[in-house]
Amino acid sequence: MAKPTINNPGRKLLRTSDYACQYMTHDSMVHRLGAGWKIAFGTLLSALAVGARTPGELLALVVVVLVYYFAARLTPFDLWRDTKFFVFQAVLVTGLYCLLSGVSRGLWPGVRQSVQIILFYIPGAVLLRTTRTGDMMRGLRRVVPYRLSFLVFVSIRFVPFFLRELNEIMTAQRLRGARLLPRQMVDPRNWGDLFHCLLLPLMVRALKIADDVSLSAESREFGSRKQRTFFDISRQAGPAGTMSERDHPDYPVALQPCDPPGNGKRKGLI
Amino acid sequence: MAMETLKIHSLTYTYPGSTLPALADVSCTIRVGECICLTGDSGCGKTTLLLAIKGLLRGNSLSGAIEFAAPPNDDGRSTPVGLVFQNAESQILCTTVSEEVAFGPENLCTPPLEIARRVRRSLGAVGLEGCETRHVERFSAGQKQRLTIASVLSMNPSLLLLDEPTSQLDSRGKQELCELLTGFKREGYTIIMTEHDPRPFAAIIDRYLPMAGGRIGAAAATLPEPDRYAAKAAVILRSTAVDDAAAIAVQGLCFSYPETGVALKQVSLQVMRGERVHLYGDNGAGKSSLLRCLTGLERPDSGTVELAGIANPRPEHLPGKVGVLFQNPARQLFAESVHEEVAYTLRRLGWSSHETEAQVTEALTLCGIGNLAERAPLTLSFGEQHRVALAAVVAPKPGVLLLDEPFAGLDFPQRLALLDILAEMSGRYGTTVLIVSHDVLPDHSWADRTLKLSGGLLGETDH
Repeated sequence: MAKPTINNPGRKLLRTSDYACQYMTHDSMVHRLGAGWKIAFGTLLSALAVGARTPGELLALVVVVLVYYFAARLTPFDLWRDTKFFVFQAVLVTGLYCLLSGVSRGLWPGVRQSVQIILFYIPGAVLLRTTRTGDMMRGLRRVVPYRLSFLVFVSIRFVPFFLRELNEIMTAQRLRGARLLPRQMVDPRNWGDLFHCLLLPLMVRALKIADDVSLSAESREFGSRKQRTFFDISRQAGPAGTMSERDHPDYPVALQPCDPPGNGKRKGLI
Repeated sequence: MAMETLKIHSLTYTYPGSTLPALADVSCTIRVGECICLTGDSGCGKTTLLLAIKGLLRGNSLSGAIEFAAPPNDDGRSTPVGLVFQNAESQILCTTVSEEVAFGPENLCTPPLEIARRVRRSLGAVGLEGCETRHVERFSAGQKQRLTIASVLSMNPSLLLLDEPTSQLDSRGKQELCELLTGFKREGYTIIMTEHDPRPFAAIIDRYLPMAGGRIGAAAATLPEPDRYAAKAAVILRSTAVDDAAAIAVQGLCFSYPETGVALKQVSLQVMRGERVHLYGDNGAGKSSLLRCLTGLERPDSGTVELAGIANPRPEHLPGKVGVLFQNPARQLFAESVHEEVAYTLRRLGWSSHETEAQVTEALTLCGIGNLAERAPLTLSFGEQHRVALAAVVAPKPGVLLLDEPFAGLDFPQRLALLDILAEMSGRYGTTVLIVSHDVLPDHSWADRTLKLSGGLLGETDH
């Protein structure tokens, strides 16, 4: 059997997702659930996570949240991707509790709070992993104007992009001698590097990307009309993931009333 | 005589805060079905002109007029002009291919059934049919570029604007794009593109419009200033300091990512001190992985790395001994002045202020930016920022210099100037220089050796 290579598209990939909270194009019962339901159910689970106090309550909630997560056909690898920072944080929080109150008195509160934070976060991760841009915007636009729902979505969509940028900046600066490793951050004299070498370039990049994104949206007439239509990709997807109108002859027409043609901002003569 | 589709009359525009106009009295006429290439150095106003045609310039300093011929059967659900930006990464707004292509028509209030037709047609036009539900993150740079074109085509433009469409593409991606644009021209699209090196598109370009200082020069049917793209071998110093000691020694390097599988297969490489090597390969060939393994940012699965005499180096061991320049200079600039930026690593290495001052001056002179010493790096142009980043990297006179895609965003004369500086480094200080890029060098004679990485395997070429 040929060894998998990056240039062999026929190989079986180990890769499930590229980064935490990446949308996965599976088909699962959670994927098919409406974005509004997922937001409501996720909010309920997160609220229960905040309220859970006893080991029994927490254990029951862990089971429910994991069933919800894996029902979305996500893998343990995805779960690790989504929660690894929280796991490190859990170790830190529990360790600090034990340090301050002793192991016998500090262990349970530390574990409880750490698990609560992870359980609070996972439903949000499921929402992002199972909901397309359009579905999310469709869900959000019921409560907020479409321009605002787009803003919320784009902010989430570009989080992984900025995480990659953060990593690239950190790499470049470490190679120039900046002290940015976690162990180097223990020394307050290195905190200046964190701001000057990491956060400042990141802010500059963020402003540049924000400008690019707004130009991209504007160039494609986003916001030029009071309303917009929404194209439901899931109802157009054929068995092989390709679109076929014949498969869906009853596809709905415009979901929202629109301005009459030509009523939007049209640039022609200055 | 073909019908006119775009007329620009005396267009002038000054960016807020700037004293010089980015566009100065620009006038031209474009006919239906023409393919126009705007040429000129970075900062000459090419991108600004495209933004003006698309109507995206902000501020109220715009004067003059832009007229479009009325598109046939305009039902208000089309846009006369489609603009494809230089950076596909930040242009793609949605997560899946269909959503991205549908985004424009949705904003035009196009009925969903019509959007479905347009999505299918646009993806077919760029050869991405069957990818409707795919995640855009999994696409190669070439596929992303084609997706951005499809997302514009779905808005039914008659005039297609492309800003530096090949800047992120490897040779295969460029060839694919060239074939794509040839097809568009045959179908009757009017195309205006800006391109630092338009030679790959020479067969489809009808007219070249040279720009300088915001003004358009006389149109030409052939490439203006062909000498501009010729290698200036005479000015490149030959490396004289090559000796028998290896500055980079890699033996049997294997590396794989848990998610994607094998990236490097038994790579062995030896670069002698003072040698100039160019390593190229298509996007995804493993170039960045090799660079990350060399600098200790990734630990190889097997094999050994020795860099500037350091076995299995870690990034913290390298400042002063190895300089690394990445693609986007904005990622590493943060200081208040160019002088401070260049002095940063020297101060971190504990050099005295006298030594630092002398070395900063030398690095700034070498990179030709002595006049910018007191300027704020982030206010400079891309080309100037690139030189500042290079000066900061070469200031400690590293024994080894690694450059990752150093030509991205630079125009042809700037690329040749960069090679000059790097040749000077190896000639004057005996620095070993390794350039990693997805493209061939603007001047083949610069490199002592050219290596090609393909599918994780390293091979030597005849260049």
